[in-house]
Amino acid sequence: MSDSQVIMKDETCSTANGKSGSMESTKQDAEVKPFTLKKWNIVAMWSWDVDCDTCAICRVQVMDACLRCQTENKQEECVVVWGECNHSFHNCCMSLWVKQNNRCPLCQQEWMVQRIGK
Amino acid sequence: MLTLSKKRKEDAARRANNSLSSPQTSDNSKRASVRDMLLNKEVPEMDVNLPSSCTVDFEDPNKLHSFKLIVTPEEGYWRGGRFVFSIHVPEEYNIVPPTVKCLTRIWHPNISEDGNICLSILREHSVDGTGWAPTRRMKDVAWGLSFLFSDLLNFDDPLNIEAAEHYQRNRSDFEAKVRHYVERYAKS
Repeated sequence: MSDSQVIMKDETCSTANGKSGSMESTKQDAEVKPFTLKKWNIVAMWSWDVDCDTCAICRVQVMDACLRCQTENKQEECVVVWGECNHSFHNCCMSLWVKQNNRCPLCQQEWMVQRIGK
Repeated sequence: MLTLSKKRKEDAARRANNSLSSPQTSDNSKRASVRDMLLNKEVPEMDVNLPSSCTVDFEDPNKLHSFKLIVTPEEGYWRGGRFVFSIHVPEEYNIVPPTVKCLTRIWHPNISEDGNICLSILREHSVDGTGWAPTRRMKDVAWGLSFLFSDLLNFDDPLNIEAAEHYQRNRSDFEAKVRHYVERYAKS
């Protein structure tokens, strides 16, 4: 399977060379082009620019509503909170946890809010 | 075995029925709690990651929040014993840790004779960072309990002070008492 694919590629290359050779100057013809790029597709990846994109408390993506807000139908109110340590959680998950222990559950540093929002 | 998802479906169906007949009661019919949803993922994860010395026993497969963990240490002082821990996961999980009791009487520096357990991750309030954190999962609890018989065995910070002092005073006598307890209480 892979062998036949390689042969096919070789054939395309040689025909491309042959074409350019017949139309362009003999100097260019002398240069052996391994292949000619005819078309390409650009592929890009993206992710949220945050340290951790899953809330370590409820294990739902921070950009989605947390487990609690999903069950209570409060998706719109669910926002994200970033700490000074740059870890992010759902604000509602974190406000429950800091009552228990005012530390970041991920790095154990004292929890200081840096930013709240979406 | 784990039929909570089925239960959730049934509950949802019942809710739908309730809302048809009496809309005002539909809201207080039981919906799957956050704890149950977390356990729905964590219990199967714990099942496949269980230490070889452990088994779990769910009396009611619809109650993932209440089960027994049975530890049968393969080596160490308590080898050959069968130690049953009851694990109860409170409604506020995972903000609070599960509550665990050792149902088998044991002579152990970190487990009292009435079944209380001294294990850092089970501590609800801790001044340092070693206590419970919502990043912990049920599998960590199972591993923590199984390690009380090996790596986490700690004679320097005992709960059963008498047992720890017994060990410091006379190791072979301590071991004899451990073996006596195993034979008497921890054989199935």
